[in-house]
Amino acid sequence: MSEARSPTVIAARRVEKRYGKTIALAGLDVDIGPGITGLLGSNGAGKTTFISLVLGLRSRDGGELTVLGKDPATAGIEVRSRIGYAPEHHDLPSELSATDFVRHLAEMHLLPRRAAVQRVNEALWLVGLGEERFRPVGLMSTGQRQRVKLATAIAHDPELVLLDEPTDGLDPMQRTEMLALIRRIGTEFGVNILLSSHHLEEAEQICDAVVIVESGEVVRAGVLADLRRGPEGLVVEVDGRADELAAILRAHGLEVTADGSVLVLGAAEEAYDAIRDAVAELGVGLRRLEPRGRTLEDVYLGTGT
Amino acid sequence: MTTGDARLYDLGYRRYDGPRDRPARAILTLAEFTARRVLGIGRGARHKVLPALTLVIAYLPALASVLYAVFAKDIVGGDLITYGDYMFIIGGALALFAALVAPEALCPDKRTGMLGLYLAGPLDRNRYLIAKGAGVLSAMLLITVGPLLFMLLAFFLAGLGPSVTETLELLVRIFAAGTLTALLYAALSMAVSSFTTRRAAAAVGVVLLLFVPTNVVRPAIESGGAPNELDLLSSPIAVSELAYRIFGESSDGSDPVAELSTWLVAGGVVGTILAGAAICWLRYRRLEGFR
Repeated sequence: MSEARSPTVIAARRVEKRYGKTIALAGLDVDIGPGITGLLGSNGAGKTTFISLVLGLRSRDGGELTVLGKDPATAGIEVRSRIGYAPEHHDLPSELSATDFVRHLAEMHLLPRRAAVQRVNEALWLVGLGEERFRPVGLMSTGQRQRVKLATAIAHDPELVLLDEPTDGLDPMQRTEMLALIRRIGTEFGVNILLSSHHLEEAEQICDAVVIVESGEVVRAGVLADLRRGPEGLVVEVDGRADELAAILRAHGLEVTADGSVLVLGAAEEAYDAIRDAVAELGVGLRRLEPRGRTLEDVYLGTGT
Repeated sequence: MTTGDARLYDLGYRRYDGPRDRPARAILTLAEFTARRVLGIGRGARHKVLPALTLVIAYLPALASVLYAVFAKDIVGGDLITYGDYMFIIGGALALFAALVAPEALCPDKRTGMLGLYLAGPLDRNRYLIAKGAGVLSAMLLITVGPLLFMLLAFFLAGLGPSVTETLELLVRIFAAGTLTALLYAALSMAVSSFTTRRAAAAVGVVLLLFVPTNVVRPAIESGGAPNELDLLSSPIAVSELAYRIFGESSDGSDPVAELSTWLVAGGVVGTILAGAAICWLRYRRLEGFR
């Protein structure tokens, strides 16, 4: 990925994993730097397998993998003690209170008991469960359980947090809140986050970088701003007389491609002034005027203006 | 309002740069957590019923024995229960514990996904099983060693105990017999629990494993066709016989296992413990803990 994002948190070189005859990872090659990184791909793309290799819970069949500078296959316990993990499933021990559950896992991650008690409260308040912290997990809603899992992942102050579908089962309001929370944890507290998701818009909202995996291979990876940057130029959309507008702009020496009511202009300093004057001259409504670029969906699909 | 000594504390979430425990601490933490859960400590009342019932069954004969020794021994004469007898008597409590209580250590972790969360931390499968085994074993020791220590202490305080030298020797015997018995029941319970996520299924499996071999092997031995060594498959009877011998006592001799040498009985018990542990280990090697 970008050199500005080094040092590398996760480095994978030609990582392979097979389940019998099924190839889960086919020579996956990627460097994941600090910040919030989205691990994107459809179901069965290899995201969960990659996370299990990062955690050192499965052995790889080939390639090299380092996480926080260590190989999880040989230093799994050391690596995992520095990682926080929130799984996709919501099955948590039902009769334990959120406090007891998060504290137990914080202690399991080698936090001394006294520190664990204090940090669990801080983590639960951070995720918005301060008032609900003594409530049994089994009586909590899906949204609250997602927050409990997030608190579990961050309570022991890991260097890297792996979040597997953290917005699964949430309504739009809860999803927005959860994403804002993850963004805050990544930016305000400087925790490196790898967010596995198949929702592109989530990654687009909060990630600094993305890794797109398909059929066990990385098909796109990089800093989000770099990936979304398209060819230079402007996109103009008007509510009528687009052909006449194109003709006027061409008369100003601009390179214009028309597609219905949308005009795509090549890069030119004077384009903004020319567009303003032409739109005013024609008296048409200007619906869109923006630099050419691509959405994450365009990046994912390999398309875009 | 004075401002000179005022302090503004940020009590919110922050990074942590304090000390951290060593990875081995995770084993102790999980062992303690497991023992507490198995015994129902810190859980709702319904989770305390079976462990409490088991402990009552285990400690009641000890209490009766002490009361008898203090108040009625001079009138009736003789001991009510020997230490060897005690290990036989608490077989029921141990079976109840192994079948209905101990599966709590492994089954829910697989069902709720806690296993994956544990394995995503500074534990591997071996350390996980060691921690779980230690948790179950320590709870079982409350049944196997606890009542005998209670009896010994009560006799000592009542002035009815043996000499100091004999007491030390007896302590060693209590811990040897109690630990072997607890290990056997813990290993069998965990081996069965490793096959299922349901405690009820594990309970049925443990009961079958403890009592079916006796009912299959005994007729075969008594009809004269099978060797007495087969009786070692009757785990509760074999470990009870070993406990009698550890205390230097003899059982009533009606079981075929009573005719075997001490080394053979000890080998059979240790073999059963190792087999249970190996089955559990092999199951967890193959188990998909991550999801």
